[in-house]
Amino acid sequence: MASSDGKPGSVFDHHVQTAVCDSRARYREGRRPRAVKVYTINLESQYLLIQGVPAVGAMKELVERFALYGAIEQYNALDEYPAEDFTEVYLIKFVKLQSARVAKKKMDEQSFFGGLLHVCYAPEFETVEETRKKLEERKAYIARATKNKDYYMTKKKLVPEQKGTNDSRQDFHPHMPGFCTTSLNTSPENSSPSLPYSCDLPLCYFASQSNFLPGEHMDRASNSCSSGRNHSELSEHCNYSAFSPKVQVNTYKNSLPCSSGQEVITTSESVGRFMPRTTQLQERKRRRNCDHELGMFPETNTGSNEVVIGPKLPGIPTVDLQDDSLNTTANLIRSKLKEVISSVPKAPEGKSEDLHTSHSQKRRRI
Amino acid sequence: MAQKPKVDPHVGRLGYLQALVTEFQETESQDAKQQVLANLANFAYDPSNYQYLRQLQVLDLFLDSLSEENETLVKFAIGGLCNLCPDKANKEHILQAGGLSLITNCLSSPDEETVLSAVTTLIYLSSSGAGSHPELTSLPVVQCMLRFSISANTRLRNLAQIFLEDFCSPSLVAEAQSQQAHSALGIPLPKTKLVPQQP
Repeated sequence: MASSDGKPGSVFDHHVQTAVCDSRARYREGRRPRAVKVYTINLESQYLLIQGVPAVGAMKELVERFALYGAIEQYNALDEYPAEDFTEVYLIKFVKLQSARVAKKKMDEQSFFGGLLHVCYAPEFETVEETRKKLEERKAYIARATKNKDYYMTKKKLVPEQKGTNDSRQDFHPHMPGFCTTSLNTSPENSSPSLPYSCDLPLCYFASQSNFLPGEHMDRASNSCSSGRNHSELSEHCNYSAFSPKVQVNTYKNSLPCSSGQEVITTSESVGRFMPRTTQLQERKRRRNCDHELGMFPETNTGSNEVVIGPKLPGIPTVDLQDDSLNTTANLIRSKLKEVISSVPKAPEGKSEDLHTSHSQKRRRI
Repeated sequence: MAQKPKVDPHVGRLGYLQALVTEFQETESQDAKQQVLANLANFAYDPSNYQYLRQLQVLDLFLDSLSEENETLVKFAIGGLCNLCPDKANKEHILQAGGLSLITNCLSSPDEETVLSAVTTLIYLSSSGAGSHPELTSLPVVQCMLRFSISANTRLRNLAQIFLEDFCSPSLVAEAQSQQAHSALGIPLPKTKLVPQQP
């Protein structure tokens, strides 16, 4: 294993890759199989030894690859270092130890020009001054880390108290539409009276705050809803609050802060007092379609500009089942699959419409 | 391999470290002990774990392990101490627990990494001011460092030189040098790949 005379450039034990441990208890197995080894600051170094570099004249590429992790101060090949046939050994000195650490972690066991690199630290190449500096930096890092931790721990106690008040203030205005829409999303089928604001917090908070007459609220709600022409989120909010006017006085109170926070929009469009249920369902469907379209973008673009990464997915293989009736069935299924896959944008619409009609049958309210 | 304690992910870092300590104390498998100790020693590299390690008395665990017969356990334990001793609180704990003599004993280990970790630990323990602990620069220690400082092993040589230059007064070094010629060498050099060049 060891050659040596102990000088830099000879083989050391810490250059040799230790065997991976395979007898670890499950609870302490890491993500990658690793050897049983302790890394101390002594072992780490800004010098990295790279073994297993294929002898194809790729020094420049090697250095460029490692330079991704930090500035390199110097590099050279170690010709005297024992190497496997057709491989070379290099020494790379990083400016910073941290770069070397990252480079080692990322580049060890990586393939390079057909070979597997073995990267290890080479602290024997350090000068006294470099070692001293290394130890000092470690000490400073620990001092910083523990000092920050103390500071953070004391600060953490202050933060929750402030945060509590901030949150409540924020909840007061801009979050209202958010709450409305989340309630919309979370309970699409359920427009029962206990809805629209499934969150208790704003309900309690606001209920105690506002004390307007229902009528005024309605107008304000309609003001904010007129922008619903553009199918913004506001419209959903409006739909909900407008839809259940009789249900809860609370809803009006809740809608107030939102609308007061918004600009006063023209009342050119008068929103009816009762929005039919179908409109809400259509809104949901529309939003779902938008999401699908957005989700589809990467796929639609692949054909044109995007670089396709990875192998093309195989199509459904056609297999002869040796029987006419079975083949017919199989073909029918295949064509149906193709139809469904190709009509995905349309499918949700169809489905939602089905849902919608069925819902309107099941849950018609008088 | 012997036990597989189940660790709830919600238990977090402290729970995991606790599980490691428990396994170390209960297992009879040397392999498992080594794996766990290495694991703890590596955790000792990260300052964010120090409060947990102190809480779980892992520092004492490391110090106790220095007396083990298994060289690997000693190597990992002193590595763990080397990792966490730059921290002030840990340093005080080690010194108060009488860890100094245990660490100095490691200077005579046949294993290279053990000796290197021991020298580095002494460097860190001294760095806050050796005046409070004069045994850090006791004569045997200084003599040992002198011998290391002329070793062919670069890493050992560098560390020993740092110890001598930064934490030993010239008079102390001179005294150690003069005494060395006469007294019996109490601390043997590590066996691994070292060819001391005697002047």
